Amino acid sequence: MPIQNPNPNKKKKKHSNQDDDEDDTVQGKQQTQFEFCKVCRLNHNQGRRHIYFPNHKKALSSFLYRFQSKFKNDVAFYLKKPMPLRPEHAALNRLWCVFCDFDILEYDSSFACGNAIAHLASAEHLKGLKSFLWKYGGGMDRMDSFRISESDFTKWEKKCKLLKSEAAGGGSHGSLIGPLNDIHNESKSEYVNSFDKNKLDCLTSDVKCSNSVVPLQDHTIERSQISHSKICTVGPQILHAGTGVGLGARTPNGLPGFFGNQHYTHSVPKEGPAYSCPNDGKVYPYEGIAIGDGHSQGTSSEESRLQTQENGGGNVHSGAPPPWFSAAEKIQLDNKLNQGLGDLVSSLGEQMKTSKLNPKRVGAAWAERRKIELELEKRGELVRHDFGADWLPNFGRVWQSGSRKDSRKEFLGENKTWRKVDSQIEKPSQLQPYISKRMRTENTAE
Amino acid sequence: MNYLLTTLTKKQEVDSMIRDTIDKVLVLCFGRASDSIFLQLDEILYKSVREVSKFATVALVDIDSDDVQVYIKYFDITLIPSTVFFFNAHHMKMDCGSADHTKWVGTFLRKQDFVDVVEAIYRGAMKGKLIVTCPLPPDRIPKFQLLYKDV
Repeated sequence: MPIQNPNPNKKKKKHSNQDDDEDDTVQGKQQTQFEFCKVCRLNHNQGRRHIYFPNHKKALSSFLYRFQSKFKNDVAFYLKKPMPLRPEHAALNRLWCVFCDFDILEYDSSFACGNAIAHLASAEHLKGLKSFLWKYGGGMDRMDSFRISESDFTKWEKKCKLLKSEAAGGGSHGSLIGPLNDIHNESKSEYVNSFDKNKLDCLTSDVKCSNSVVPLQDHTIERSQISHSKICTVGPQILHAGTGVGLGARTPNGLPGFFGNQHYTHSVPKEGPAYSCPNDGKVYPYEGIAIGDGHSQGTSSEESRLQTQENGGGNVHSGAPPPWFSAAEKIQLDNKLNQGLGDLVSSLGEQMKTSKLNPKRVGAAWAERRKIELELEKRGELVRHDFGADWLPNFGRVWQSGSRKDSRKEFLGENKTWRKVDSQIEKPSQLQPYISKRMRTENTAE
Repeated sequence: MNYLLTTLTKKQEVDSMIRDTIDKVLVLCFGRASDSIFLQLDEILYKSVREVSKFATVALVDIDSDDVQVYIKYFDITLIPSTVFFFNAHHMKMDCGSADHTKWVGTFLRKQDFVDVVEAIYRGAMKGKLIVTCPLPPDRIPKFQLLYKDV
């Protein structure tokens, strides 16, 4: 085991390699006997220094966090809302108090986490908590988060008493059921009370009152089709084969009951499941049955065709509009779609583009504004107003020291002075040909 | 001038060019058509215009026109050819190791150099940077002597 030997000046007598367990009183501070740190689960001989090590601090924070989460989630919840504890849930409500090294069982408590709450409020737990924090350095200011104060405990006790008295008085049974049915408590209380009397009544009343989805009592169109087709398939199989209802052409074996069968299939919807077989109960061989299947499928498709024809000759797959759209609306829709499609695509494309571009890019705000301006100009809503002749872009000059706005102002200022100078210069003297002095003097002399 | 790119001669044209180029780098090259280096630059630009067209627009400005003198003064253009970069009407600076970061002086040795420079500008602009460093090695950058303003 690696042992630190921080003091090289130690006397040879006390070699730490051999004398691990001796209390080193002479040197005192450096080495103590080994002890087990519950938090880091580590045997160390660093004594009181150990609690300040970063590893220990990390372990401690996770350790306390775990306990605190259990405390908050379970115990604190039941502290606020005391609930009676059922025996089957008692096994789940155990809590290990890490400070006292004590397992709290709930087998004999009437309320959820009752024993745990009692323990956490007790003086023994407080003592254990204090010693733990001193030993493992958790911070004495955090004590209150790991225990239940007396005031909270008394409040909890009062609530429990109230609950007990309520339960004894035989009020709503909702409390027995638990917190889950709180919402339904009012509506279901009457059912629960009469539960023993008549279950069916309760169910139906429940169903009606709670506005739940009632199972379909009438067949929908699809279902009726299916049921018809099923009946059709069933019918020929049992009674006749290859009836070819409505198709006429395929009538194998010269069925005597052909017309009767036709009558039969059409009469099925009226009669419902209790169909009578007006035909003789001949059972034909396998071939017949197979053909019958084909035909019956044909009949079902025919029926479906009939029904879709009623709907206007289209369905979802063919792209037809749903039947609740009137024809007029349909036309309007089509027109709008065709017009709007181009716009949609372009606008979508633009949206996609703007959403992808970095909003932090250079001149982003300016670009967005300019885009809007251009769009408006395209639409003709905004008349294009030309920027003044003096517009200058944002430019950082070569020898500038301030911001770019300053550079622009500087330039404009320079420009003005330059223009002034120019205008002054623009009154030049008229150009005259050069006359030499001699010429001049000659002229004057003359 | 068929052999040159779109050449701008008026301030208003330059303005509209700057203002209408949105989310793309605008490359403005100042020079005169009689200058051989300018023509060489134009040749390289012409070849690369299509390749950078998705993120850059290129235009030439004739410095001999009177209307544009304001810009020549504003941009401190003294050496020809000079190229100024804009993004969303904001001027983009590039540090090429020379004294003047506001413009690119001279021509590009290769087409790829030009594309690299424009790409660097675009990338910096998209990140929100107003000044970028030149991606080219120093031997590819034309050297010039910058005169102090009062000299």
